[in-house]
This record gives sequence, C-alpha cells and structure tokens, in this order.
Amino acid sequence: MFTRAFRYERAERYSDACDLLRDHGEQAKVLAGGQSLLPLINLGLAQPGLVVDISRLAEGRDITVTDDGYLVLGALVTHARLAADPGARAAQPLLPAAAGQIGNSRVRNRGTLGGSLAHADPAAELPLVMVALGATYEVTTGQESRAVRAEDFHLGFFTTGLDDDELIVSVRAPVLGPGWGWSFQEVSRRDGDFAMASVAALVRSADGLIIESRVAVGGVGDRPLRLADVETALTGCPVAAPAERVGPIQGISPADDTSASAQYRARLTRVLVIRALAEAAGRAGKEAE
Amino acid sequence: MSAGEIRSSKAEELRVVHQPLPRHDQQEKIAGSTRYAGDLAFADMLHARLVRAPVPSAKITRRDAATAAAVPGVVCVLFGEDVPHNVIWVDVPGQTVEVAALKASMEVLATDRVRFHGEPVALVVADSEEALGEACDLVDIEYEELPGVFDPAEALAPGAPAVHAQGNLLGEWNIDRGGVDEAFAAADVIVEGSYRTQAVDHAYLEPEAGLGWLDDEGVLTLRVATQVVEHYRDVARILGIPDSRVRVIAPYVGGGFGGKEDMTVEPYLALAVWRTRRPVRMQWTRQESLLARPKRHAMTLRYKTAARGDGTIVGQEVDITADSGAYAYLSALVLLYSSVHACGPYRVDNVRLRARCAYTNNPPTSAFRGFGGMQVVFGYESQMDLLARRLQISAADVRKRNALARGDVLPVGQPIETEVLLAQTIDAVCDRAGDKPHPSRPRRAVGRGIASNIQSYGRLVWLNDSAAAWVGWQLDGSLTVRCGVPDIGGGQASSLAQIASEVLGTPMERITVHFGDSSLTPLAGTTTATRQLLMSGNAVYEACTMLRAGVLGAVAEATGQPADGLRLEPGAVTAEGFEMDLREALVTCRRRNVPIEALGTFFGPKGKPVVRDLRADRVFPDFTFGTHLCDLEVDLDTGKVRLLRYVAAHDVGRAINPRSVEGQISGGVVQGLGMALLEEVTLDNGVNLTGGLFQYLIPASTDVPDIETVILESGEGLGPFGARGIGEPPIGPPSAAVASAIHDAVGSRPVVLPITPERVLACVDAAGQPGWIP
Amino acid sequence: MSQALTVTLVVNGRPVTRAAGAHLTLLRWLREEAAATDPKYGCGEGICGACTVLVDGEPVSACIVLAAQVDGAEITTAAGLLERDGSLGPLQRAFHTRHAAQCGFCTPGMLMAAAAMLSTGHPASREEIRAALHGNLCRCTGYGPIVDAVEAAQQEGRR
Repeated sequence: MFTRAFRYERAERYSDACDLLRDHGEQAKVLAGGQSLLPLINLGLAQPGLVVDISRLAEGRDITVTDDGYLVLGALVTHARLAADPGARAAQPLLPAAAGQIGNSRVRNRGTLGGSLAHADPAAELPLVMVALGATYEVTTGQESRAVRAEDFHLGFFTTGLDDDELIVSVRAPVLGPGWGWSFQEVSRRDGDFAMASVAALVRSADGLIIESRVAVGGVGDRPLRLADVETALTGCPVAAPAERVGPIQGISPADDTSASAQYRARLTRVLVIRALAEAAGRAGKEAE
Repeated sequence: MSAGEIRSSKAEELRVVHQPLPRHDQQEKIAGSTRYAGDLAFADMLHARLVRAPVPSAKITRRDAATAAAVPGVVCVLFGEDVPHNVIWVDVPGQTVEVAALKASMEVLATDRVRFHGEPVALVVADSEEALGEACDLVDIEYEELPGVFDPAEALAPGAPAVHAQGNLLGEWNIDRGGVDEAFAAADVIVEGSYRTQAVDHAYLEPEAGLGWLDDEGVLTLRVATQVVEHYRDVARILGIPDSRVRVIAPYVGGGFGGKEDMTVEPYLALAVWRTRRPVRMQWTRQESLLARPKRHAMTLRYKTAARGDGTIVGQEVDITADSGAYAYLSALVLLYSSVHACGPYRVDNVRLRARCAYTNNPPTSAFRGFGGMQVVFGYESQMDLLARRLQISAADVRKRNALARGDVLPVGQPIETEVLLAQTIDAVCDRAGDKPHPSRPRRAVGRGIASNIQSYGRLVWLNDSAAAWVGWQLDGSLTVRCGVPDIGGGQASSLAQIASEVLGTPMERITVHFGDSSLTPLAGTTTATRQLLMSGNAVYEACTMLRAGVLGAVAEATGQPADGLRLEPGAVTAEGFEMDLREALVTCRRRNVPIEALGTFFGPKGKPVVRDLRADRVFPDFTFGTHLCDLEVDLDTGKVRLLRYVAAHDVGRAINPRSVEGQISGGVVQGLGMALLEEVTLDNGVNLTGGLFQYLIPASTDVPDIETVILESGEGLGPFGARGIGEPPIGPPSAAVASAIHDAVGSRPVVLPITPERVLACVDAAGQPGWIP
Repeated sequence: MSQALTVTLVVNGRPVTRAAGAHLTLLRWLREEAAATDPKYGCGEGICGACTVLVDGEPVSACIVLAAQVDGAEITTAAGLLERDGSLGPLQRAFHTRHAAQCGFCTPGMLMAAAAMLSTGHPASREEIRAALHGNLCRCTGYGPIVDAVEAAQQEGRR
C-alpha cells in the first residue's frame, strides 16, 4: 500500500503501449486490471519504474462469435463481463463458468482476460480453460501480430511466450460443437481462493460412448497440463463409467504448500477429473437428446 | 437469523438493560465517520516504520544507518542504543527462581541478538511513506545466523539451543489433587488422547496503527489502536520520563481479540515523537502484522481420562506443552488459564496436571481471546466424546453426568459458587437442532457434534483488579460518563450508557460516554479477560447508585416526600402524586451541597498469588458455561467440510443488550470455526511463511452458516444486574464440536488443528470408508 | 522521485481535483487527497474488502486500483449512502437496527458491497446475499447480523 513511487503512462492504443514497453524494457510493467500487479507492488514484491496503463484502450473489448465457429474475446474483457455475457455463455459455456469462479466480485470487475493469461499463475482458471479448449492468442508488438496456441504460450510458473514488448490483443476459442459436453471443477479452501487442483474437461459422445475428449488440469504443475493418457484411455468408454478408465494421474508435479500437500493435491486431481468427466459426459448425453 | 432465543430464570423488571437497543457508537461507524487510529493526520506529520530481522535466530554483527539516513526526506534512523531504556519487562508470575526468572525482558529495538523472524531492529522516521520505503531497504544490518529451536518439546530437551541465557523453560504449573494413581487403578475404563493446536493470528480487520504528538504542555500523547491505555506507564519507563507526562488515548479499535493487549506501535511512536518533537504516524502493514505480532500459543495436549462404567469421571491426567515463542509476553499467565480450565466444566476429584511453556525461536505468543482456556476445550471435549463412545453413552448424557454444580470444586481448588446451567445449555442446543439432516447426495456423510466449555471472566484475583468510572449530570439533565475502558467493538462503552440509563432513568440519547483516555478518564484497566462488563460496568453502576441516592435524598429533604417512595424517571423525580422536573432537582442538590457528580470504583474479588504448584481457593472471579452443536457434511472424496447448522447456548447471567450478546457469540463462534478449519500461521524452522491474507485464511460469509444463539440467564453473574462475561467463552467449543461432528460423519476423529480437507481424508481412510474411488 | 499527476474524481457527488503522486492507489488518494477516510486499509492485497468503494457504480478494491486509472470516475463511499441531512440511508439504518457492526472497521466496505448487490434489483436469498458478500471479511460479527441487515434492506426496498 505504501509503496515506492513509480511513473505512470496511459496508452491510447496498443501500438503506444508496445512502444513504451520497448523504450523502458525491464523497468516497465503492464497495468490492465491491476488485480495481480498492484498486490505485488503493495507487498513490495514488484518495484517497477514505470507502469503502462492499458486499462482504458478503446481496443480489445469485443466479444464476438464468428461464422466458422470461434468465440473471439478482446484481451481487455473483464472476468465479470465474460462470466455474464449471454453470447459467450451460449457459444462456449466453459469459459464464462470458469471466469465466474475467479476471486471475488471486485477482482472480476477489474481483472482482464489478457491480464490473467499473461500473468500465468499455474492455479489460474482461464489459462487452464484455454489449454483445454486449444485456444489461440493473438499477440502484437504494435507493428506485427502473431497467433500463439495456448499450450505453447504458457511455459512455466508465471512465464509465458510473450516478448517484453508484446501484448495479447485477443483470444480465439472454439465454440462448443454438437455432441460436446463440458465441465469445470475446482476445489479450494474457501470460495474464490486459488484452487488446490482444478480440471477443465470437454467430452463428445455418440450412442452412449465417448468418442473424443479434452482434459486439462491446473494448479498441479508449473502450468496447465493436458492429460493425453487419460484422453486416449477414454476413447470408446461408456458415457456412464469414465471413472474406471482413470487411474492415478501421471505427469503432474503438485506443490507442497500452506494450503495442501502434494499427495493430497494428486489425490484430489483424480477425484476432480472423474467428476469433470462424469459431468461433461452427462451434458454431452443431454446434448445428443 | 431471527433474534436469538432468551431463557431467563430470574425475572427482573428492567427498563433499558435487557433491551436490544441499537448501539450509539454504531451510528458513526455505519456512517463511515468514525476516526480510527489511522484516520487522523496532522499536516506536518512524519511517518515511522520498523526494520525487522529476516531470520529467526542470529547475532547482529553490523548496523549502519548512513546510507538510509541520507535518503531525502529521512529525519532519523534509530537503533537500540537510541532508546533511553531499551527494555520492556514482563512478569512471569508464580514461578520460583529455580524454574525461571521472575521477570522476563525484551528489547524495544534489538541490539546484539535477534530471536524471531520479524524482531524489530531499527526505526526509520521520514516525511513521506515513499521515503520510508526507500530508506528501510537501505538500513544496513548484517546477521550471523545461530542455531535455533522451533519446537517446544525439543526446546525442553537437553542440548537444545538456548533462546535465552536462563534456559528454555519459561514457566510451568502443576495441579495435584486427590489420588490419581489409585483412581486410575480402580477405573472401569481409561481413554487416552493426544491433541495438537496451532499458532493462530488475531487477523483483526484493522492493522496496528497510531498517531503521536507532543501537546501544548509537552505531554507525549499517543492515539493508538489499543486494548490497554495503561501502557502509558510502560512508555514512560522506556523514555525515562514521569508517568504523568505520557497520555494514551484509545479511539474505537477495529478489533482486538487480545492482539492489541500488549504494546504494538506505542514504544516506537513514542520514540519517534520524543526524538523529532514532531507529530508522527505509524501504520503497520497487514503482512507485518501477520509476520511479527504475537500469536495464540500452539499446544500439545495429552489426556488420560479414567471413568466408571456409568460414565462418571474419576480421574484426569493432563500434560500440556505450549510454545511461548521468542519472548515471554503473557505466556505464563496463558498457561495458567489452560491449567485451571484443563478439566473442563466437569467434576473431577483426582487430577494430575503438568503444564510447561517453552521459549523457541518461533514468533512470540501472547493473549488471544480465550487466553489458554480455549485450546484445552479441544482436549477435554474430545476426551468426553471418546469416553461416550467407549461406554456407549450419548454425548449429552456423559456431559450432564459429570457437569459441575454449585458447591463442586475445580481441580485447582476453587469452589463453584454460582448456579451452573450446563445441562440446560446442552438441552437447549439439542432441542433447537432437532433431527440430524440426511446427506445431500451420494459420497457425502453428515455428522453432528456437541461441545461444552467453561471459561473464566474477570482477571486473576490476585492482580487486585479495579476499575473506576465518573458519572456526572449536566444541569440540563443530560449525563456524562467518563471511563478509561477502551472500546474494541464489543459495545464496551455503550453498555456503560445502558447501565447508567437503567439506574438513573436518563434516556440513552442524552448520555455521552467519553472513554479510553489515560489522562482524562478514570482508569478502568484492560479491555481483556472478559472483564469490562464486570469491572467498569460495576464501577458505573456504583457511581450511578451514589448519584441516585444523592438526588433522591436531596429532594426528599427539600420537599418532605418520603425518600423510599421517590423514583427517577426520564427528566423527572416522581412519586405517588408528586413530580419535580429533574433540572429543578439538580438545582436542589447544589443548594444543599449534594454532589451531582460521582466517582465509582469497583474492586474485583481478591485472592492470594498462586505458585507453581497450583492450589488456591480462588483464582478467577467467576466462570461462564456453554454448549455448542454443529451439523456438517463431509465430501468423502475431497475431504471438504460444509457446515450445515450451528447452535450455541451460553448462560450469560443477564444480557445487558441481547443483540450485543448475540453478536459476541456469533463472532466468537466464527472465529473459533476459523481456528477449527482454516487458520494456521505456517512456520518453517522459525521462518514465518504466512505472507498475507491470501495465505492466512479467515472465514468468509460463505464458509459459515447462520449461528443460532440461545441465551440463558441465570442472573447469577457478578456483573451488574447479574451479568456474566461473554466476550471469550464462545470461541472455545467450535473446534471440538467440529471434530466430534466429523467423527460422527466418517467414523474417525481429527486430533490436529486446523482440520484441513487433507486431515479429514485421513480420517475417512482411517475409518476404512467403503466405496472410495480406488 | 514521485511523478505528480492531476486526477479528478467525483467523490460522493463532490468533484475533487488534486495533483498528487501518480503511483497513489485509489485508496490512498481518497484518504489522503480527498479527506475520505471511510474506506480503510486492511491488507493491500484486495482480499479483505475494507477498502471497497463503487467506481461508476461497480464495487472495486480501492487498494489495488490506481487513482490515475479511474480519473474522471464517480466514486461512492459509505458516506455517500447518507441522506442529504446527514442521517443514515435505508441500508445503513438496516445495519444499525440489526447490529451489523461491532468494531465497524469492515463496515464501510461491507456497505458498498451490499449496496452494489442491492442495486442490481435481483431479489436475493440469504445464501445469495452471503455469496455476494463473500469477498468482504469480518472478524467480529460472524456475518449473520450483516446478512439480516441486507435482507431487511432488500425487503424494505421492495415496499
């Protein structure tokens, strides 16, 4: 709260913001919602020389569904808006459901999609869902843009593929297609706390069998992880009995910390994967009816 | 939650007392205009901040302020040598010199050694928060780490690193009563249990703060968030100035719970003001508070309970080891409370208790609501449940069978002199709760637990406790009350107005209470130990009684009306067929040299100081009894607990303000539930890892159900109108009630706090629950 | 060195323009520049809710928003809920009669969270009220009386 002074610049356009980042290098930090950056500054864990405020850009705020089946979200869409948007809820309900679980209502009023993705907290909801969906992020330097797949973007603890002068402009996620069901599960010590483990799952079924699935887990590694083994094992599984195909979860490295032990997290992950699959399969079944 | 239930056993015609009046302090708080300690500012004020040790055990090898002092805006950087008397003394009562020093001390600013992570080493004063931040990082201090000890049992073992020169045993208490070995030999059943409670933080919403200045007489004035204005004496001692040259003002405090009972900002603010001669503000960060403020004592409790086949307890063996952290603070007293309360609200004729507290290099521990009486509830109530299960008696019956009654004697030797409504509190919660609910879906289990407790109110009797209050009429019939009591949110000041209104007939809106000023209000002692209603309440009652007698006597003499027929009504003195305006009555008093102002002093019950081998016929003035009931649902696969229902019943003697009493119970229960399920100060070899509220989890509104309250009124308390204290008692039972409910739900009992989902799952596994996804 | 920035905020209907440090959070700016000490410092992490204010009607944690970011906005604090004559507004009266404040430190923030919930107009059950307030911590009341007060204010508002 009682922090060192830092300089402040408000950007009008993405290009201005990127210019400022280029000019000031490591000394500059991006301020969108501020819900991750400002606590770090208040606690003395970050001491930028300059804060580049992009929270009032005219760009980056749209929510659209394209004709070829994608939900496109501007990076400055707040969590509150994403959680409540009827178009988003119809097109890809997994996203608004996850956004609605973030923190508390104040955090959701200010926090942004782009901010959450760029911050890359391994326990955060939105990076997890983006990896599960196979979303892509449009990233700009102000002069040129490129598309990065979510699973290539999130590289480790609070580490992403963003260059120092790059900003996320928008995110593109597939809409929920016919025959697909979804589920988002997380368990935390209290509502709104960071999850001890979380799961985002999508399941497509036909004639009572799982044809395809996408399962990702969060909070049990340095980034969201797709469970390829589980997805393979589920193919052809009866919709009512996914639990039988899910053994102990491999490939995760959960932390031991003040909230929970690694062992508990691993056990919890399996429970949540099974619950997520049951819920997603159930929704897929309903879809088919 | 509709208004809680009230069951009175002694009816009394009361006009204002016993009414659920909205408190007048709440009006300003709700308007947002209350000025807490951090809300006042002087235009030219400076800011002060501490530099604290980053390691738990070290020699300080170098301290250099040159670079920090050169930061623009910095006024001074102070070390221990700059403090006139760099020591704070604490009594370690009841201990002989063979056990530990009679007094323990700590430095205001450490000079050559630090003993806990966060210990203050330097004080920086600057003209802005920004300059402070920069300068604090530049104070050059070097540490050479020393071996430390972080577990009290290890600290007491031979060869442990010495936290202080005189050794790590800070204090011990023993109770030997009757013949424990014979009782155990003759018992039908013996139940053993080992329990662990954790270090907990007060986590009041208001972090420590204050403003200090020199007034026009040069009196050092501190306006600080505190539960104790009497610390002006400690400040005076540190500065080497007369007590009368220091004044402490307590504004409304944003939560205390014992965490603002010891000094917090006072010595540092005082030092900064005294050095700079300018006004200074100090605001601790939340993170600083979580790091370095004294915590609740973590304790290991070992119980062996011997009983007859019908459930009658014949003996208890209790062993308590408590973590005092790096400095003594109030540890010996906390352990004393634990010892006296250790057998619970039950009759036990044969007791052997051994309690010890040890220094470690963990954060210091001190006062926290319940003050040692709280941790032991987890122990003795868990034992009651184990006993009930072993003997196949209901939880309610085993408690009723052993409940204390008037005339019984506590293990320490103090007889219970008042009625005990323990059985009635048990019935009250069970009646209210009705049948246990069913699980909401598969893979869930529902459990119910009850827990009873005893908690003292009023201070230890050998402390010669007293409180004073001044009450005076204004000539227009309105009333002024002056009392040194700090108001920390429990309606301490408002209760005084209610009592005065009851005795003198003055309407509440015509009463003004000035409180919490060590120079301008008569001293009333600490707002701790659930003592203020007893102490300042009785002091006000006494002053008002004197005034009442004075004015009625003066009117009787002046008019010939019989004195015993006169009454005080709002704005008038009346009798059958007679009425005199109060203003005229007051003029009558002045004409007849009858004072219209009075100082009331209430002296608490007395007793002899206790020694290590505890035996006393009086330790506390009195006790409050209660029972809680908890229904919860366990998710058998994740271990998460959902609280379904919570009912709390206490005999409060008389509820001066029933809504305030309900509020105290509701708040105390939720704080207790936090300790039961969520809260823990996490230490790793003395390094405090609790970095903020994102890690220190206190209950939010969705973590707890409505707390249903049943207020019983025996009328037998020692406070005004027969009131008992209620601030602390409700925090005791929740962890035991939750543990019992989980035992009921899953078949095995948690014995370590907090009861995390992980620990619940361990119980599920231990009980061999079927159907767990393999 | 501190960069001075001129920011204008309309605080409870009163426009306040100040040149102050660009790094000031909205909380510090309100308390130090606009003499609005009702929002409190409780944690600096955006978690406790004691600093909750409304920015253009939406609840935010003032300790983790820069004043500069919301330049020009309308800010409402607890004092802004009062009637013109300074008496308590309807929500505040409900808090008062239901003893929803003890130490009172969480109260200004809690009021703003409740006010924001009530302004949506959706009738909320006790559970929904608890959910809306779950980001505002209280250590004194145990929450029940606060839920009572919000429920009462909601009923009052419907009449």
